[in-house]
Amino acid sequence: MSVYMVSEKDAKKLKPSLMAGLIFVLGIVAVLIGQISLNMVLTQDAYQLRSLTIEKRNLATDVQIIQEEVSSLSSPQNLADAANMLGMVANPASVMIDIDNDKIFGEPAPARADGSEVASANLVANSALGTVSEFSMATVASGELEVSVETANLASSGLVLQSGLIPASPTR
Amino acid sequence: MGTHAKLSRRLGAFAVFLFLMVAVLGFRLVDFQVVRAAEIQEQSLETRKITQTMSSLRGDILDSSGQVLAKTVFRYDVNVAPKRVGPVFQTIDGVRTERSVDEIAMDLSQLLGIDYGELILKLEGDSEYSNLAKTVNAEIFNAIRDMNVPWVFFDQFEDRLYPMGAVAGNVLGFVGSDGTPLAGLERQYNTCLAGIDGQETYERSAEGVRIPSSNRTAQPTENGGALNLTIDANLQFFAQQVLADTVNNLSAEWASAIVLDVETGKILAAAEAPTVDPNDPAAVEGADRGSRIFQAAFEPGSIMKALSAAMVLDTGTADEFDTVTAPDRMQLDFDNEYIKDSFSHEDFTLSLAGVLRYSSNTGMTNFASQIDRKVRHDYLQKFGFGSVSPLMFEGESSGILHPVAEWDEMTNLVTTFGQGISVTSLQMAYAYQAIANGGVRLDPLLVESCLNEDGTVAYAPTQQATRVVSTASANLDLELMEKVVEFGGVGKTAAIPGYRVAGKTGTAELKDGSGYGEEYAISFYGIAPAEDPKFVVGITIYKPEGVSNSSKATPPFKAIMQQALKHYRIPPSTSESRSVPSNKYGEVDEND
Repeated sequence: MSVYMVSEKDAKKLKPSLMAGLIFVLGIVAVLIGQISLNMVLTQDAYQLRSLTIEKRNLATDVQIIQEEVSSLSSPQNLADAANMLGMVANPASVMIDIDNDKIFGEPAPARADGSEVASANLVANSALGTVSEFSMATVASGELEVSVETANLASSGLVLQSGLIPASPTR
Repeated sequence: MGTHAKLSRRLGAFAVFLFLMVAVLGFRLVDFQVVRAAEIQEQSLETRKITQTMSSLRGDILDSSGQVLAKTVFRYDVNVAPKRVGPVFQTIDGVRTERSVDEIAMDLSQLLGIDYGELILKLEGDSEYSNLAKTVNAEIFNAIRDMNVPWVFFDQFEDRLYPMGAVAGNVLGFVGSDGTPLAGLERQYNTCLAGIDGQETYERSAEGVRIPSSNRTAQPTENGGALNLTIDANLQFFAQQVLADTVNNLSAEWASAIVLDVETGKILAAAEAPTVDPNDPAAVEGADRGSRIFQAAFEPGSIMKALSAAMVLDTGTADEFDTVTAPDRMQLDFDNEYIKDSFSHEDFTLSLAGVLRYSSNTGMTNFASQIDRKVRHDYLQKFGFGSVSPLMFEGESSGILHPVAEWDEMTNLVTTFGQGISVTSLQMAYAYQAIANGGVRLDPLLVESCLNEDGTVAYAPTQQATRVVSTASANLDLELMEKVVEFGGVGKTAAIPGYRVAGKTGTAELKDGSGYGEEYAISFYGIAPAEDPKFVVGITIYKPEGVSNSSKATPPFKAIMQQALKHYRIPPSTSESRSVPSNKYGEVDEND
């Protein structure tokens, strides 16, 4: 190893440039800031991912709640009870209309509420029944009125075709 | 020593030190990065890696129109950590509020339906765990979660929900509280319904935050398949309603109704009362948790006569005009035995239709006993008796059809009218299906398919057809059976306005020890429309109180058949039945 003695003037020339040092330090700082920023973004994404996962889970729970409500409301047990509450009775006397041949099959007959073989109220157990249809007394009362009027009309008209044509509905 | 020499020596020593340091660090670097690289990486991964099991969802069970009969939902156990119980501070709209333990307990007791005093006791103590409620639904879970109480936590688990309750509960079966399938189709088709749990690993930082894009799927989650049934839930519900009413009115032990689609062999309804609500199987007796349609065998009685008549026609033993003498009591020439009809009458001269119309045991014996017993035994086997169906329903009974070599003289005769043999409702319904389907019996279908999550077919049953009797014999037998509904004392009550109906009544005395007692299994099995059969409906009512004939079996038949015809838009019959000799003189009835 050799050591050289230089003049003061030459020594000044050899002095490291302040600018170069500054650039070096700023470079390091910039890299560190970049690294921290990247880290923050990644961490933020992780938190966002977690937040979205929780939101998705909560929404799935909400969907399940709504689906269970719909299942309960659309279950035959609820429908039977609701129909019964409105005064409806199953009518096994079906009447078929053959559009092509202008024919009506079967004899229309009003439903009988006392038909022992046709139970309208629900008799089939369902412990999963949660949300059920609810009617106000006014709704139930008007429902009964509608049924009685409809039955009387059907019985009196008998749906007999005089002209051989199926009557068109007055509804437009 | 000069200054330069000292400086040079120090610098030399420093250089050596520096070199050694670099060498040591270099050595360590090579050691870490090359020699032990894999091991260190493995250790590092172990500390960051988390493995979690991704639960697969059990598949749905659906009816023929896609209505959900069984599905998987999430339920929750609500727990607390008594050690951490304390007031909860919350900041709402910038206002910091405190909720006391009493207030929180009050809300919890209301939401969970637990007595307040009882709940408070569960919040006391130094433990980290105390269960407040099990299996709460998602709505309550949401409400409690929104309370944001840090010492309340939940265990989520999968549960099975049967949205239609007891509709088809007898065939669906049920699962245990741990999700294990315990009965019915849930157990039989577990391979289809159960999924495969997945496994996933991810890495997390020292703070416990998941590192994005570090997920690795070791085993993909495969949810269970959807099991599609042939059951029509609406018709099934209707039939169960009718049966529940029937059992209540007759104080019967049980009743069953099966509805078949004649052309496809599909079971559209397999209804029973009493039956099980799979949501709560413990609510009924063990005997009511299965399906008697498949599992219970009984002596069928007179409903067998329609099949014996088909054998008589098919073997050419007799035609619709041939007659036999049918006394109300017929002494046999062995063991002082006799056969009698269910009512007293003078000697009738009966055609085959007359035998069915009057349900004469002596008449049927005189016709069918002309056929060799081996031939009749073969027919019974081809009708499906004595063996389990290809459905292989859990616990399905084969009934009892003794080998022909074991038939004694009495068994040889009484099997013609449904004694000395036991059958299931399923078997009898499919025997009638054979008559309705031009003599060809189809294998029963209860499951349409099992579909994977991606819609591909994982399982679809195969169906075989068995020719039992000729088409002509089957069709003629149907015409004879129509006379039961047109003129039969009880059969007339099965008539459906607008439709031609063929059927047969049955009143089977039940064995009481060695003989027959005072209890009955009453039945009506029928087919409609007779000119173009669409449905078979079979009704069996077991031990109705104070009932000794099948008159109580026809109203449920009529109601269910009528509903099936209406539901599937089957047009009423446009033709009349053919006149066939059926009165007690072997002639055509004056009203026919």
